[in-house]
Amino acid sequence: MKRSVLSVLLALALLPGLAACAAGRSQPAPDYAPDEAHRLVVYTSHKEEVWRPIVEEFEARTGIWVDVVYGATSELLERIAQEGKAPAADVMFGGGIESLETYRDCFAPYTCAGAEHILARFRSPEDLWTPFSALPVVLIYNAKLVSPGQVGGWADLLDPALRGRIAFPDPAASGSSFTALVTMLNALGGDRESVIRAFTENLDGVRPDSSGEVPTAVADGSALAGVTLEETALKRIADGMDIAMVYPEDGLSCVPDGSAVVKGAPHEENAKLFLDFTVSREVQELLVGEFCRRPVRDDVESPDELPALDELPVAGYDLDQAVRDRDAILMTWAFYFGEDAP
Amino acid sequence: MKKPLTASFRTRLFGALLAAALVPLLLCSAMLLQIFRLRMTDTAEEQSRDHLSRALRALDEGYTGFSAAADALRRDPLVLGALTVGGVEDTRVNAQLFAAAGSARNYARFDLYDREGGWRYSTRNAPEERRLPLNWGVLHLAEERGALAFTAAGDSTDAASPLLLGAAPLTGRDGGRAGYVVISLYQSDLRQLLEGVYGAQGTLILLSDYWRPVYCAQPSLAASLAPELRGRLLSGQGLEGLSDDFLYSVERHAPMGLYLVLRRPQVFNRDTMGLLYTVSASSALFCVIISVLMSLSLSRQMFRPIAQLREAIREVERDNLDVRVVQLRDDELGELARRFNGMVAALKRSRETLVENQRELNQAQIRMLQAQLNPHFLCNTLDTMKWISKINKVPQVALMSTDLADILRFCISPEEFVPLGREAEILERYIEIQRMRLSNSFTFTLSLPAGLEDCLVPKMILQPIVENAILHGVGGVENGCVEVEVSEAGGGMLRLTVADNGEGFPPDMLGPFRRTGRAKGHLGLYNVDTILLKYYGEGCGLTLERKADGKGAVVAATLPVRRKEEAEC
Repeated sequence: MKRSVLSVLLALALLPGLAACAAGRSQPAPDYAPDEAHRLVVYTSHKEEVWRPIVEEFEARTGIWVDVVYGATSELLERIAQEGKAPAADVMFGGGIESLETYRDCFAPYTCAGAEHILARFRSPEDLWTPFSALPVVLIYNAKLVSPGQVGGWADLLDPALRGRIAFPDPAASGSSFTALVTMLNALGGDRESVIRAFTENLDGVRPDSSGEVPTAVADGSALAGVTLEETALKRIADGMDIAMVYPEDGLSCVPDGSAVVKGAPHEENAKLFLDFTVSREVQELLVGEFCRRPVRDDVESPDELPALDELPVAGYDLDQAVRDRDAILMTWAFYFGEDAP
Repeated sequence: MKKPLTASFRTRLFGALLAAALVPLLLCSAMLLQIFRLRMTDTAEEQSRDHLSRALRALDEGYTGFSAAADALRRDPLVLGALTVGGVEDTRVNAQLFAAAGSARNYARFDLYDREGGWRYSTRNAPEERRLPLNWGVLHLAEERGALAFTAAGDSTDAASPLLLGAAPLTGRDGGRAGYVVISLYQSDLRQLLEGVYGAQGTLILLSDYWRPVYCAQPSLAASLAPELRGRLLSGQGLEGLSDDFLYSVERHAPMGLYLVLRRPQVFNRDTMGLLYTVSASSALFCVIISVLMSLSLSRQMFRPIAQLREAIREVERDNLDVRVVQLRDDELGELARRFNGMVAALKRSRETLVENQRELNQAQIRMLQAQLNPHFLCNTLDTMKWISKINKVPQVALMSTDLADILRFCISPEEFVPLGREAEILERYIEIQRMRLSNSFTFTLSLPAGLEDCLVPKMILQPIVENAILHGVGGVENGCVEVEVSEAGGGMLRLTVADNGEGFPPDMLGPFRRTGRAKGHLGLYNVDTILLKYYGEGCGLTLERKADGKGAVVAATLPVRRKEEAEC
């Protein structure tokens, strides 16, 4: 009996050996992976249609492999903050600059090549971030259900006729929504709390899950009006959505989105090259040509069909103050909207 | 008692059978599986290398066509002129373009762009976008390389836009930029180029230099798989562990900036392995069942005769020696039964013999007891006779009966060995009786050294010899003389001699007393010789001699010197 048990054990012992034999025969593939000097990790909240051509062109020109991690702005920033002193990311590409400002401890200042061509109004005072494109916040409405002129400015969003039919994303999650809220508070003036209260009452607990859903909700009529970015609205109109866009007559904010080098980035040099590339003439021209975005360079013209920013009623937007008041505003918002504080 | 024995025997038998069946089976299946696997894997690897190299050749072929076309256009004065100066008929330029592209236009679109990036001529329909940026994408790349350069373009799932763009700068006669030839490969073109070269089972995925999807026969697969492949490459994990169901092999096509990834199904995927394991497991199960049945039947076959044997042994233990095992078989167990039967029979026989012997012994003892009764009676009678003769003043009768009673008492005493002194004493009594019988017609001398008086000898050993001497030696002789002498013969031996002065033995009787026919008539000597031989073994016994001075016979008895304590040992 004992001997037979031994044989079984022997057989079992042989099996892994044979298996190892089989495994050992497959040849190791040549390593096509790039070395560390040719790598870059980019966290981006830009949609793929935006980041892909830029990243691919960057790769083709520099030979640097870009590893793109896509996510929502707040989520990516939170991730960078958590990674702390051992960051995985090199560059945060995308996200409103007030969001970048909120996480300013995570980033290292860098003055990009060609900074002298960047419009002064979009430049960071300490070059903590590098602007990417100018993104005015606009109002959209369903052209079939809303008559022209009914929605023309921020004040119209308090109109009881629109009660429960306004697509306005959560300002705690969406950077553009927060910018819109601050712009609205600045435009309407008066007591902030009462404005927020009146606005949330008019929203009546309705809100889209993400900023991307705003044009869809307005187009299919579940919302009559909405707040979104100029480029999103233009893009959707070009795609054939039946929505109309209006620059708020009582005050327009134009906060850029930007990019920033993560503090302690493992591939810092490549990160700087990437930032240089995002504000290069070529990329800025691509923004204008492909994405209906406004450039941040003075030597690149805005899309011809768009009104110049100077001609629009731009409301004052104090970035520092917006960042400072962010928590208070969001708290008040959550209080009246009926959500837990962020 | 019966149950555990059966159980344990069966269990052992089952275990042995199971091991004998399962171990080779498992070993065999494991080895077969591995060998099969190795062979299949090898074949598959070779096949995939072959497929990949065929795909590479197909791409090479295409690339050769493209670069030949680009070279031809670069040197074509008509085309260069049309792009820089103009004023050339479109049809002529198109003809040149078609001729340059040759067969390569079957799987690519050829366009001519002017130096501003504006579209001019094409082998197919005019493109939607009639302008290509000079500072972006393929024209920028071509400008930087100064030669034909390829780059991935657009969405790999999009059938309407080119997936792969190549461009080569054209230089005018003045040395300035004349324009560009742009080669666009659409999904259908790549399919045509690569269809059927990499086998039906595999899937070929084209990736760009930076491992972004370019083309796949199943476009959605490229879109979903490419990021995963890229992720593994960048994290340094290799493609082996990506999936249990597929294997990946990679080749690079440098001129077109492409990686070819061939995905083929694992030869031994989970299903196949599962099937093989199931087959092995069922075979093993089958073996277990067979082992159980075999062990049951074998143990039953073996156990029946063993049980019979055991029952028979128990019968024997109960003292029944008539039991026999029925032997039905001719194998070892049959032989065992046969031998058992023989053993029991032998046991029975020997016991019967034993009983018989015991009975005989008992009868002998009874006879002996009976025999002892008579001498006692005789002794008592002789004592009575002694007293009666004393009363009646017949002293000879009294003396004779006293001597006879003493001799008789000596004879029936239980001792077998007596000291020589005592033996000599009884011999004197016997002589007294014989003197009275023969009226003092002979002389008797006894020479017994004092140191030998305590030597032990068999009882009544001297009397038959002396009687023989009196009856045969001095029978008709006047002044007969019988001499008994005891001496030590050396070597621990005792020599007793009885000599007479009679006729002596005939010469042929001399020497050691032999119990042959010639000794007949000497029953007393025969008995003594036999007793000595029986008690002491060879070398002891009687010797018949002649007296040294020639007259008379000498009977010598030789026996070892033993004293009381030695005899007891």
